Amino acid sequence: MTVRAPITIANSGAVWRPGTAVESKAYGRALLALAEADPRIVCLGADLTGPTETDLFRDTLPDRFFNIGIAEANLMCVASGMARSGDIPVVNTFGVFATRRSFDQVVLQIAYPRANVKLVGFMPGLTSPGGPTHQATDDVALMRSLPGMVVVEPACGMHVAPLLAQLIAHDGPAYMRIKRGDLPKLFTPDSLPPLGKAQVVRPGRDGWIIASGVMVTLALEALDALAEQGIEAGLVNVTSIKPLDTALIASLAAEGKPLLVAENHSIIGGLGSAVAELIAESGLSLRFARLGIDDVFAEGAGAPYLFRTYGLSPAAIAQRFAGLAGRS
Amino acid sequence: MNSPHRLGLEGAALADKALRLRRHVVRMVAPIAEGYVGQGLGAADILAALYFNEMAFDPENTAWEGRDRFILSPAHYGVGLFAALAERGALPVQELAQYGVDGSPLEIIASERLPGVEATCGSLGMGLSVGVGMALTLRRRGSASRVYVLIGDGEMQEGETWEAVMCAAAFKLGNVCAIVDINDMQVDGSTKSVMDMGDIAAKWRAFGWNTITVDGHDLDALLAAFAAARAHVEGPTVLLADTIPGRGVTALEGRKSHFMKLPPDIAAQALAELEG
Repeated sequence: MTVRAPITIANSGAVWRPGTAVESKAYGRALLALAEADPRIVCLGADLTGPTETDLFRDTLPDRFFNIGIAEANLMCVASGMARSGDIPVVNTFGVFATRRSFDQVVLQIAYPRANVKLVGFMPGLTSPGGPTHQATDDVALMRSLPGMVVVEPACGMHVAPLLAQLIAHDGPAYMRIKRGDLPKLFTPDSLPPLGKAQVVRPGRDGWIIASGVMVTLALEALDALAEQGIEAGLVNVTSIKPLDTALIASLAAEGKPLLVAENHSIIGGLGSAVAELIAESGLSLRFARLGIDDVFAEGAGAPYLFRTYGLSPAAIAQRFAGLAGRS
Repeated sequence: MNSPHRLGLEGAALADKALRLRRHVVRMVAPIAEGYVGQGLGAADILAALYFNEMAFDPENTAWEGRDRFILSPAHYGVGLFAALAERGALPVQELAQYGVDGSPLEIIASERLPGVEATCGSLGMGLSVGVGMALTLRRRGSASRVYVLIGDGEMQEGETWEAVMCAAAFKLGNVCAIVDINDMQVDGSTKSVMDMGDIAAKWRAFGWNTITVDGHDLDALLAAFAAARAHVEGPTVLLADTIPGRGVTALEGRKSHFMKLPPDIAAQALAELEG
């Protein structure tokens, strides 16, 4: 059995190994802790209390928990009305319902008035086994297009609490997509950069992989495979998709080395598009690719199957990067 | 009820306010020669009853926390709301001349760019939901403020309306009062011809609302209905207000047109009648 060297996480003192420990219900606990300190925080949901980890909130602060029923259009507007009256509503549902199901309401009653509402969408991309009805593969594209909307996705269970605190401290609308259930413990809590800044996980000699959410863990796996081929790719974790750390990405692009974006989302409109827009307008020339769901609808199946089938596996990341680096 | 910012006008004084709102509406639409004049005239009595009798409202501070909230869900009626805000003193009357002018916050579809507009609706079905949210927070903070939401009868075809109706009843929001402007008019014709909603009162009752049918042009009846709504603390109240589009202007009254022509001769005739 090959013993792989641990990957040191830049600026955090932490290391990552395959099979790293996981954090359970980090979101549910973080939300409750923040709410206990701030009476303006109210928790809204639409019949998905257990699946959105808000059962803890419901049982502890029942007077501030509002189950709106299976009615997402109403849910979003109710949240807007509460925010307009001084509360900080945190709206919990699946990513598909927080975005495409209720988009007009989110646009007009949350984004347009810059209502202080925090939207939390579980089961991003192919982390849902539920097929196109439950797989939020276009949520970043939708939310990124809205003026003033903050869009984030944590890669690490330890980042969930500080990230949620950042969103609560930010006076305005925000959307967090977050994997349901366990999240890996990759980094220390204090390694989370502020909104608008990205985290250099590992510096690279031969170019960069820019990843978000669950793709960060898979990219870490890919770094191993690439190292075996003598390729030293760097890795950047983008938690804050909007605002994007344009200064960092521009500086990486200016190196002129291969740049691969890996995201658990359609290649259209998400992080890859955001980076592509930046590069295209920078006048720089470099080898660039977007790795994500390749403009197709997926299907209902287990996550390992889906990530393999739709080209989001560590092997696919490694192969794509090696191709960009001219080593395939 | 004893708010320093609640005018409580009745009788001739209130009727005069309604008349003034109608004059503003015609004057605002006249330069454009077409617009939501039918709706503005039709809702003038409801708006007068709210802004000059029923609602606590501080024209010096439209964001005053103790105010009652009014949400105009069919924001197309902005012409009527702007008239009410100006006549109530929240914006200078001469500002009404900016209605629909490029760059002006008095947009044809009312936007909260104008202080006093509580939410930007007009993508129909949202207003009552926003009102439910406001009412939940006001109640949990012990506020005496009430939430009034005007919705259109065609708007009841939007599913979200019924999500909000269900929700307000389930949460027993006695601080919510909806007013449905039943003018039997939508873009494609009479509401009944486009999508007949059957017994509207029975539907609201079945959803658990205190349901009051009222003549939307009878100011005394409107005030009595608002008082009854206020007294009903167990849950939300809806006023099903029968109105006539273009009410108060002979040439326009009863004409069913979503975006009504108002040529100069008719506008002049209307103003003469309203100023008579």
